[in-house]
Amino acid sequence: MAHIPDGFLSMPVIAGTATASLAALATAARRSRAALGEREGPVLGAVTAFVFAAQMLNFPLGIGASAHLLGGALVAVLLGPWAGMLVLFAVLLVQALLFQDGGIAALGANTLNVAVLGVGSAGVTYRIGRAGLGETRGATVVAAGLAAWISTAIVGLAVAAELVLSGLVPLQPALLLVGGGHVLIGIAEAVLTGLLVDFVFRTRPALLARRTPAARGDRIRVVALAGAVVATVLVAVGFASSQPDVLETALARLASPVGSGLTAAPFAEYQSPVGGLWVAGAVGVLAAFLVAWGLTIAVQRRRP
Amino acid sequence: MSFRHLDRFAQVRSPVTRVPAAGRVFGTVVLALATATLPAGAWVQLGLLAAVSLALLAIAHVPLRVALARLAWPLGLVLLASLALLVVMPGEPLARLGPVAVTAQGADRFAMVMGRAMVALLPAVLLVSTTSFPELLQGLRELRVPVAVATALGLAYRLLYLTVDELERLQRAARSRHAGGGVTRRRHLITAIAAATLGRAFVRAERTHAAMLARGFRGTLPLLHAPVWTYRAVLNVAAVSILVLAVAASARLP
Repeated sequence: MAHIPDGFLSMPVIAGTATASLAALATAARRSRAALGEREGPVLGAVTAFVFAAQMLNFPLGIGASAHLLGGALVAVLLGPWAGMLVLFAVLLVQALLFQDGGIAALGANTLNVAVLGVGSAGVTYRIGRAGLGETRGATVVAAGLAAWISTAIVGLAVAAELVLSGLVPLQPALLLVGGGHVLIGIAEAVLTGLLVDFVFRTRPALLARRTPAARGDRIRVVALAGAVVATVLVAVGFASSQPDVLETALARLASPVGSGLTAAPFAEYQSPVGGLWVAGAVGVLAAFLVAWGLTIAVQRRRP
Repeated sequence: MSFRHLDRFAQVRSPVTRVPAAGRVFGTVVLALATATLPAGAWVQLGLLAAVSLALLAIAHVPLRVALARLAWPLGLVLLASLALLVVMPGEPLARLGPVAVTAQGADRFAMVMGRAMVALLPAVLLVSTTSFPELLQGLRELRVPVAVATALGLAYRLLYLTVDELERLQRAARSRHAGGGVTRRRHLITAIAAATLGRAFVRAERTHAAMLARGFRGTLPLLHAPVWTYRAVLNVAAVSILVLAVAASARLP
């Protein structure tokens, strides 16, 4: 269920995801324009049409099963994450407005999941993969496949987190059914993306060569951003859980006093003194991002 | 391939089609948002919002059977997605289906999600039935969707038919040569077809770009017809939006 229909999400989740998507799309529009220039419109239009068309093709997986391409990782590999986000947003917009595939009120959440987190994480993983594995055909295919798998899993986790935050389902079934389901779907997406990138590498390598290799500074930024994404997911899942975590369970068994005045944190139990759960969550995400970004700057300054 | 069957009520003159596309998109978003965010148990408000949507469908001369037929597919997807709610919610068991139990809390949540989804889909069906794609695009541009996305959508709409036709031609050619027997060979064949289409899409993008530059393209597509907002159209959109928001707000009154 990568395309969340209307009726599943609560008002705060709809508002929060729409705001985050708007901010990400504004950045994507600026960065994509800088990368593609005047070619932006025709290139994005052609790739958007291709993604629509490719989603109509059923790839046989064997044992009677087939799958269709989602396309997030493929566009991230071909166009880069920023332009890729715009392509997937265009696809989601048309799917919601014309085909009622994914809700109109849930468009912000679907954009955040599929276009921003999906394409963004695919772009980050692909860059890390290429930086680490090299730029040979095999390395490129493996990096693209890995990017497709990780991005599909992250989309599933994001959907699960939003359903939990909306109070619709408990955490465990959401993670198991939606998150786990996407981890499995991600395998098919990885195979399809890998095969397509392999074919493009052999027949039209110029399409891949347009992507500039990652510089050292870029790699560190990429790692910092990946850390921020992981921290965000952890914080989101953490404050969604009403169950005691591992540490709390262990302390309870040892009968240690938890939550006394001396040990209470400013956002204990993910509750902010002002604004409650949502302010605590927002502060947590912001803090995780700032820490990751600060580490990036610190490491970069140390390097000659 | 064409989407023409979707907007066949766009040429029917009605108070709905007299509102510029931006107003229709805005109204659709307001109605969908109001419905999707109704709190659990707000059945009266859900019924009122359904009545508003059905009244708008009638005003736009969209027959109910057409609307219901268009609802069937997306509603089927919602049904599939929400079936799990019946059994994953902890609570008082109502019925047992093998190893799992349908709970009262799960049934409540399932009914509310299905109700909200169905009513929220109605304005989307109304929008797509009464708005042609170029109009929709114009409406999105007026509502400040990023220029890159609007341009990409406009060009994608024109190129989609060509791309899909090309895809079908490649598949027909492969079939006529009995290519792709067996799962592995078929997988390679489909991959090759998709990759060939991708390559051609990029070539077409470059050709299109060159042709557009020759016609004076400067980064944005010009609008052919400026939308005309009449006082009556503004009043209609405002009245429907206020009514819908008032119904939604009444669900949150203590």
